Amino acid sequence: MKISTKGRYGLRAMIDLALYSNGTHVSLFSIAQRQGISGIYLEQVFATLRKAGLVKSVKGAQGGYLLCESPKDIKIGQILRSLEGDLSVIDENESQKAEDSLISACVKENVWDKINENINLLVDKVTLEDLIIEQKKLNEGSIPMFYI
Amino acid sequence: MKISTKGRYALEAVLDLAVYSEVELESLNNISERLQISKNYLEQLFSVLRKKEIVASVRGAQGGYKLARSSKQITAGEVIRAVEGPLSPVSCIDEGKCNNTGEYKECVTRLLWQKMMDEINRAADGVTINDLVQSYGKMKKKDAIEYFI
Repeated sequence: MKISTKGRYGLRAMIDLALYSNGTHVSLFSIAQRQGISGIYLEQVFATLRKAGLVKSVKGAQGGYLLCESPKDIKIGQILRSLEGDLSVIDENESQKAEDSLISACVKENVWDKINENINLLVDKVTLEDLIIEQKKLNEGSIPMFYI
Repeated sequence: MKISTKGRYALEAVLDLAVYSEVELESLNNISERLQISKNYLEQLFSVLRKKEIVASVRGAQGGYKLARSSKQITAGEVIRAVEGPLSPVSCIDEGKCNNTGEYKECVTRLLWQKMMDEINRAADGVTINDLVQSYGKMKKKDAIEYFI
Protein backbone atom coordinates (compact mmCIF):
# COMPACT_ATOMS: atom_id res chain seq x y z
CA MET A 1 0.00 0.00 0.00
CA LYS A 2 1.96 2.97 -1.23
CA ILE A 3 1.59 6.57 -2.28
CA SER A 4 2.99 6.85 -5.81
CA THR A 5 6.08 8.79 -6.83
CA LYS A 6 3.79 11.40 -8.28
CA GLY A 7 2.17 12.02 -4.91
CA ARG A 8 5.44 11.99 -3.02
CA TYR A 9 7.31 14.26 -5.40
CA GLY A 10 4.31 16.51 -5.92
CA LEU A 11 3.96 17.16 -2.21
CA ARG A 12 7.67 17.89 -1.83
CA ALA A 13 7.55 20.24 -4.80
CA MET A 14 4.58 22.12 -3.34
CA ILE A 15 6.42 22.56 -0.03
CA ASP A 16 9.51 23.75 -1.89
CA LEU A 17 7.45 26.18 -3.96
CA ALA A 18 5.78 27.57 -0.85
CA LEU A 19 9.12 27.91 0.95
CA TYR A 20 10.92 29.68 -1.88
CA SER A 21 8.22 31.69 -3.60
CA ASN A 22 7.97 34.74 -1.29
CA GLY A 23 4.93 35.88 -3.19
CA THR A 24 6.59 35.62 -6.56
CA HIS A 25 7.04 32.70 -8.94
CA VAL A 26 9.74 30.04 -8.78
CA SER A 27 11.30 28.31 -11.76
CA LEU A 28 10.61 24.63 -12.15
CA PHE A 29 14.30 24.07 -12.74
CA SER A 30 15.25 25.40 -9.31
CA ILE A 31 12.65 23.22 -7.57
CA ALA A 32 13.89 20.20 -9.51
CA GLN A 33 17.47 20.95 -8.50
CA ARG A 34 16.77 21.49 -4.83
CA GLN A 35 14.59 18.39 -4.61
CA GLY A 36 16.73 16.14 -6.78
CA ILE A 37 13.80 15.36 -9.06
CA SER A 38 14.01 15.23 -12.86
CA GLY A 39 12.71 18.45 -14.44
CA ILE A 40 10.79 16.57 -17.11
CA TYR A 41 8.99 14.51 -14.49
CA LEU A 42 8.25 17.58 -12.42
CA GLU A 43 6.67 19.24 -15.47
CA GLN A 44 4.11 16.44 -15.62
CA VAL A 45 3.44 16.75 -11.92
CA PHE A 46 2.93 20.52 -12.23
CA ALA A 47 0.62 20.08 -15.20
CA THR A 48 -1.63 18.02 -12.91
CA LEU A 49 -1.35 20.53 -10.05
CA ARG A 50 -2.19 23.35 -12.46
CA LYS A 51 -5.30 21.56 -13.72
CA ALA A 52 -6.35 21.07 -10.11
CA GLY A 53 -6.11 24.83 -9.58
CA LEU A 54 -3.34 24.57 -6.99
CA VAL A 55 -0.57 26.35 -8.94
CA LYS A 56 -0.43 28.91 -11.76
CA SER A 57 2.27 29.20 -14.36
CA VAL A 58 4.02 32.36 -15.51
CA LYS A 59 5.25 32.01 -19.07
CA GLY A 60 8.44 33.36 -20.54
CA ALA A 61 12.20 33.15 -20.04
CA GLN A 62 11.87 34.24 -16.41
CA GLY A 63 8.77 32.12 -15.98
CA GLY A 64 7.85 29.61 -13.37
CA TYR A 65 5.12 28.63 -10.98
CA LEU A 66 3.34 30.13 -8.02
CA LEU A 67 0.71 28.91 -5.60
CA CYS A 68 -2.86 29.89 -6.42
CA GLU A 69 -3.68 30.40 -2.77
CA SER A 70 -1.92 31.08 0.49
CA PRO A 71 -0.33 27.94 2.02
CA LYS A 72 -2.69 28.15 4.97
CA ASP A 73 -5.64 27.71 2.59
CA ILE A 74 -4.22 24.67 0.84
CA LYS A 75 -4.99 21.34 2.46
CA ILE A 76 -2.60 18.45 1.99
CA GLY A 77 -5.63 16.39 1.00
CA GLN A 78 -6.22 18.63 -2.03
CA ILE A 79 -2.65 18.13 -3.20
CA LEU A 80 -2.60 14.36 -2.65
CA ARG A 81 -6.02 13.74 -4.19
CA SER A 82 -5.17 15.78 -7.28
CA LEU A 83 -2.09 13.60 -7.83
CA GLU A 84 -3.26 10.22 -6.52
CA GLY A 85 -6.99 10.19 -7.07
CA ASP A 86 -9.11 9.24 -4.10
CA LEU A 87 -7.11 8.05 -1.11
CA SER A 88 -9.09 4.87 -0.60
CA VAL A 89 -7.04 1.84 0.47
CA ILE A 90 -9.35 -0.49 -1.44
CA ASP A 91 -9.91 -0.62 -5.17
CA GLU A 92 -13.67 -0.09 -5.42
CA ASN A 93 -13.95 -1.60 -8.89
CA GLU A 94 -12.22 -4.74 -7.80
CA SER A 95 -14.32 -5.21 -4.70
CA GLN A 96 -17.57 -4.84 -6.62
CA LYS A 97 -17.48 -8.44 -7.76
CA ALA A 98 -17.98 -9.60 -4.21
CA GLU A 99 -20.48 -6.96 -3.29
CA ASP A 100 -23.15 -9.50 -2.52
CA SER A 101 -20.91 -11.20 0.01
CA LEU A 102 -21.81 -10.22 3.55
CA ILE A 103 -18.29 -11.01 4.71
CA SER A 104 -16.77 -8.42 2.32
CA ALA A 105 -19.45 -5.91 3.19
CA CYS A 106 -18.77 -6.40 6.89
CA VAL A 107 -14.99 -5.98 6.48
CA LYS A 108 -15.51 -2.93 4.27
CA GLU A 109 -17.81 -1.20 6.70
CA ASN A 110 -15.77 -1.94 9.82
CA VAL A 111 -12.21 -1.79 8.55
CA TRP A 112 -11.58 -0.31 5.10
CA ASP A 113 -14.05 2.55 5.50
CA LYS A 114 -12.58 3.36 8.93
CA ILE A 115 -9.03 3.42 7.57
CA ASN A 116 -10.12 5.66 4.69
CA GLU A 117 -11.89 7.96 7.10
CA ASN A 118 -8.78 8.34 9.28
CA ILE A 119 -6.56 9.04 6.28
CA ASN A 120 -8.92 11.65 4.86
CA LEU A 121 -9.45 13.35 8.22
CA LEU A 122 -5.70 13.65 8.64
CA VAL A 123 -4.88 15.07 5.22
CA ASP A 124 -7.80 17.50 5.34
CA LYS A 125 -6.68 18.80 8.71
CA VAL A 126 -3.05 19.48 7.78
CA THR A 127 -2.36 22.50 5.58
CA LEU A 128 0.63 23.30 3.43
CA GLU A 129 1.49 26.01 5.94
CA ASP A 130 1.67 23.44 8.77
CA LEU A 131 4.26 21.49 6.83
CA ILE A 132 6.25 24.61 6.02
CA ILE A 133 6.41 25.54 9.68
CA GLU A 134 7.63 22.04 10.52
CA GLN A 135 10.13 22.09 7.65
CA LYS A 136 11.61 25.36 8.90
CA LYS A 137 12.02 23.84 12.35
CA LEU A 138 13.73 20.81 10.86
CA ASN A 139 16.06 23.06 8.89
CA GLU A 140 17.02 24.86 12.07
CA GLY A 141 17.86 21.50 13.57
CA SER A 142 15.30 21.70 16.33
CA ILE A 143 13.18 18.75 17.35
CA PRO A 144 9.99 18.59 15.29
CA MET A 145 6.87 19.29 17.29
CA PHE A 146 4.36 17.87 14.90
CA TYR A 147 1.24 18.97 16.65
CA ILE A 148 -1.31 17.62 14.21
CA MET B 1 -2.46 3.73 -2.48
CA LYS B 2 -4.05 0.34 -2.11
CA ILE B 3 -4.09 -2.66 0.18
CA SER B 4 -3.55 -5.70 -2.04
CA THR B 5 -5.83 -8.70 -2.42
CA LYS B 6 -3.55 -10.46 0.07
CA GLY B 7 -4.64 -8.21 2.91
CA ARG B 8 -8.28 -8.17 1.86
CA TYR B 9 -8.59 -11.91 1.37
CA ALA B 10 -6.67 -12.66 4.57
CA LEU B 11 -9.02 -10.51 6.64
CA GLU B 12 -12.14 -11.90 4.98
CA ALA B 13 -10.87 -15.46 5.43
CA VAL B 14 -10.02 -14.93 9.12
CA LEU B 15 -13.49 -13.46 9.71
CA ASP B 16 -15.10 -16.36 7.87
CA LEU B 17 -13.01 -18.81 9.89
CA ALA B 18 -13.97 -17.09 13.14
CA VAL B 19 -17.65 -17.35 12.24
CA TYR B 20 -17.51 -21.01 11.19
CA SER B 21 -14.96 -22.52 13.59
CA GLU B 22 -16.74 -21.68 16.82
CA VAL B 23 -17.80 -25.29 17.36
CA GLU B 24 -15.65 -27.39 15.06
CA LEU B 25 -12.47 -26.94 13.06
CA GLU B 26 -13.08 -25.53 9.61
CA SER B 27 -11.53 -26.68 6.33
CA LEU B 28 -9.93 -24.41 3.77
CA ASN B 29 -12.16 -26.04 1.16
CA ASN B 30 -15.26 -24.62 2.79
CA ILE B 31 -13.75 -21.18 3.25
CA SER B 32 -12.56 -21.22 -0.34
CA GLU B 33 -16.02 -22.12 -1.57
CA ARG B 34 -17.86 -19.53 0.49
CA LEU B 35 -15.50 -16.66 -0.29
CA GLN B 36 -14.79 -17.65 -3.89
CA ILE B 37 -11.05 -17.47 -3.27
CA SER B 38 -8.82 -20.18 -4.76
CA LYS B 39 -7.74 -22.80 -2.26
CA ASN B 40 -4.15 -22.47 -3.38
CA TYR B 41 -4.12 -18.79 -2.55
CA LEU B 42 -5.80 -19.43 0.81
CA GLU B 43 -3.16 -22.05 1.64
CA GLN B 44 -0.42 -19.50 1.07
CA LEU B 45 -2.18 -16.91 3.21
CA PHE B 46 -2.91 -19.40 6.00
CA SER B 47 0.67 -20.58 6.09
CA VAL B 48 1.71 -16.99 6.89
CA LEU B 49 -1.17 -16.51 9.34
CA ARG B 50 -0.18 -19.72 11.11
CA LYS B 51 3.41 -18.54 11.56
CA LYS B 52 2.14 -15.28 13.02
CA GLU B 53 -0.04 -17.29 15.42
CA ILE B 54 -3.30 -15.88 14.18
CA VAL B 55 -4.68 -19.24 13.04
CA ALA B 56 -3.82 -22.77 14.20
CA SER B 57 -4.16 -26.01 12.27
CA VAL B 58 -4.90 -29.56 13.32
CA ARG B 59 -3.75 -32.30 10.98
CA GLY B 60 -5.59 -35.47 10.06
CA ALA B 61 -8.90 -36.61 8.66
CA GLN B 62 -10.88 -34.47 11.09
CA GLY B 63 -8.32 -31.71 10.84
CA GLY B 64 -8.73 -28.11 9.85
CA TYR B 65 -8.21 -24.59 11.07
CA LYS B 66 -9.33 -22.46 13.97
CA LEU B 67 -8.21 -19.16 15.42
CA ALA B 68 -5.00 -19.47 17.43
CA ARG B 69 -6.33 -17.08 20.07
CA SER B 70 -9.60 -15.65 21.23
CA SER B 71 -11.19 -13.47 18.54
CA LYS B 72 -11.09 -10.61 21.04
CA GLN B 73 -7.31 -10.79 21.08
CA ILE B 74 -6.79 -10.50 17.33
CA THR B 75 -7.14 -7.12 15.66
CA ALA B 76 -7.87 -6.50 12.00
CA GLY B 77 -4.58 -4.58 11.82
CA GLU B 78 -2.63 -7.59 13.00
CA VAL B 79 -4.14 -9.79 10.27
CA ILE B 80 -3.53 -7.23 7.52
CA ARG B 81 0.08 -6.54 8.60
CA ALA B 82 0.78 -10.30 8.87
CA VAL B 83 0.37 -10.66 5.11
CA GLU B 84 1.04 -7.12 3.86
CA GLY B 85 3.95 -6.09 6.06
CA PRO B 86 3.95 -2.64 7.71
CA LEU B 87 1.11 -0.42 6.49
CA SER B 88 3.44 2.38 5.51
CA PRO B 89 2.31 4.70 2.72
CA VAL B 90 5.95 5.16 1.58
CA SER B 91 8.89 2.77 1.80
CA CYS B 92 11.40 5.27 3.22
CA ILE B 93 9.81 5.16 6.66
CA ASP B 94 10.30 1.38 6.83
CA GLU B 95 13.92 1.73 5.87
CA GLY B 96 14.58 4.82 7.97
CA LYS B 97 16.51 6.46 5.16
CA CYS B 98 15.80 8.62 2.14
CA ASN B 99 15.62 6.80 -1.21
CA ASN B 100 16.15 10.10 -2.94
CA THR B 101 19.02 12.52 -2.54
CA GLY B 102 17.53 14.15 0.53
CA GLU B 103 18.36 14.00 4.18
CA TYR B 104 15.87 11.72 5.94
CA LYS B 105 15.92 13.58 9.22
CA GLU B 106 15.25 16.90 7.56
CA CYS B 107 12.36 15.71 5.41
CA VAL B 108 9.01 17.04 6.54
CA THR B 109 6.93 14.83 4.26
CA ARG B 110 8.30 11.82 6.13
CA LEU B 111 6.58 13.16 9.26
CA LEU B 112 3.29 13.34 7.38
CA TRP B 113 3.67 9.80 6.00
CA GLN B 114 4.53 8.55 9.46
CA LYS B 115 1.44 10.23 10.84
CA MET B 116 -0.63 8.68 8.04
CA MET B 117 0.68 5.23 8.92
CA ASP B 118 -0.21 5.83 12.57
CA GLU B 119 -3.75 6.73 11.54
CA ILE B 120 -4.06 3.62 9.36
CA ASN B 121 -2.85 1.40 12.21
CA ARG B 122 -5.07 3.16 14.72
CA ALA B 123 -8.14 2.46 12.59
CA ALA B 124 -7.15 -1.14 11.85
CA ASP B 125 -6.17 -1.96 15.43
CA GLY B 126 -9.36 -0.45 16.79
CA VAL B 127 -11.34 -3.36 15.36
CA THR B 128 -10.99 -6.92 16.69
CA ILE B 129 -12.05 -10.09 14.89
CA ASN B 130 -14.71 -10.43 17.59
CA ASP B 131 -16.09 -7.00 16.63
CA LEU B 132 -16.29 -8.20 13.03
CA VAL B 133 -18.04 -11.42 14.04
CA GLN B 134 -20.60 -9.44 16.04
CA SER B 135 -21.17 -7.00 13.20
CA TYR B 136 -21.45 -9.87 10.72
CA GLY B 137 -24.07 -11.53 12.92
CA LYS B 138 -26.15 -8.37 12.94
CA MET B 139 -25.82 -7.89 9.18
CA LYS B 140 -26.85 -11.49 8.57
CA LYS B 141 -29.92 -11.12 10.75
CA LYS B 142 -30.92 -7.92 8.98
CA ASP B 143 -30.30 -9.57 5.62
CA ALA B 144 -32.55 -12.50 6.54
CA ILE B 145 -35.35 -10.19 7.69
CA GLU B 146 -35.16 -8.14 4.51
CA TYR B 147 -35.27 -11.30 2.45
CA PHE B 148 -38.28 -12.51 4.36
CA ILE B 149 -40.11 -9.23 3.80
